[in-house]
Amino acid sequence: MGIQDIFPKTLFTVYGIPIKDTVVHTSIMVTILGGLAILADGKYRAWDPPKWQLLLEYIVEYIENLVDAMGGRALPDVVSFLTTMIIFIVIANLLGIVPGFQAPTRSLNTTVAFSLVSLVATQYFGIERQGGLGHLKRLASPIVMLPMNLLSMVSRTLSLALRLFGNIIAGEIVVAVFFMLLPVLGPIPMIFLSMLTSVLQALVFTVLTLVYIVEATGNLTETSTGSGGSV
Amino acid sequence: MAPDQLFRFSVITTVGVLTTIVLGTITAALMEGRAIVKAFENMARQPSVADSIQAILLIVLAILESTAIYVLLICLVFLFANPFSNIFGL
Repeated sequence: MGIQDIFPKTLFTVYGIPIKDTVVHTSIMVTILGGLAILADGKYRAWDPPKWQLLLEYIVEYIENLVDAMGGRALPDVVSFLTTMIIFIVIANLLGIVPGFQAPTRSLNTTVAFSLVSLVATQYFGIERQGGLGHLKRLASPIVMLPMNLLSMVSRTLSLALRLFGNIIAGEIVVAVFFMLLPVLGPIPMIFLSMLTSVLQALVFTVLTLVYIVEATGNLTETSTGSGGSV
Repeated sequence: MAPDQLFRFSVITTVGVLTTIVLGTITAALMEGRAIVKAFENMARQPSVADSIQAILLIVLAILESTAIYVLLICLVFLFANPFSNIFGL
């Protein structure tokens, strides 16, 4: 394993379009996760819950508390979206420790797709809560701030994608360098560090998406002035 | 491209990348240290809110850390996919 193995490889081409291994691995991951979700939906038990159900409930409750703390108490449908997002990103980041797989987020295309989902969700929740006209009015509340708001929309999306991509690829490169220096036991501490970074960056991605959504729905300023700025 | 020119190109690229990453990581580390010091001071002053400070500190640190990651990305671009190498025909 050298430095060049980090970057995505073309597995096969369909009608001249190269299909990278990130696409294949993400598709396999989505299939397995979707199947597990359908299975779990049928096996839900209110009494004597199994361990995996407790884990899922812990994640959902964690996100619920996060949404409450950010002042989005009036947004129950954000919780399911953000829970899906954090589970997906954590597993995509940690896919590199499964033998035969590599993390799909080490390609910029995957993370740009994630951040585009975040951008579209932000606009969707903003329009749903305030209506199309109200959403536009909030963007251009002083009319001079309209270009600034549009620019910040672009730069937020870009910075979300680049933050996740940079952290994952930095972890992969450090592991590859340690592997070249000391192949037997050298990379193991670095693998632990990159696992920690993977979970933390997924959390950061989700929290930033939550902050953008709460800001777009107009709840952030109201609650922060009301409760004296808790965040 | 002449070997002399190639040598000069590689040396300038390497020195530039090394300078950039040293300055970028030093700045990010100093500012992270300031954030941690402030957080610990206020945790010691008000232990009742230590948990919420710690939760926010973790996220803030990850965001600050990404500044260094941006520097690393720019360095990687100039090492592996230098946009000026096409001009010289490398």
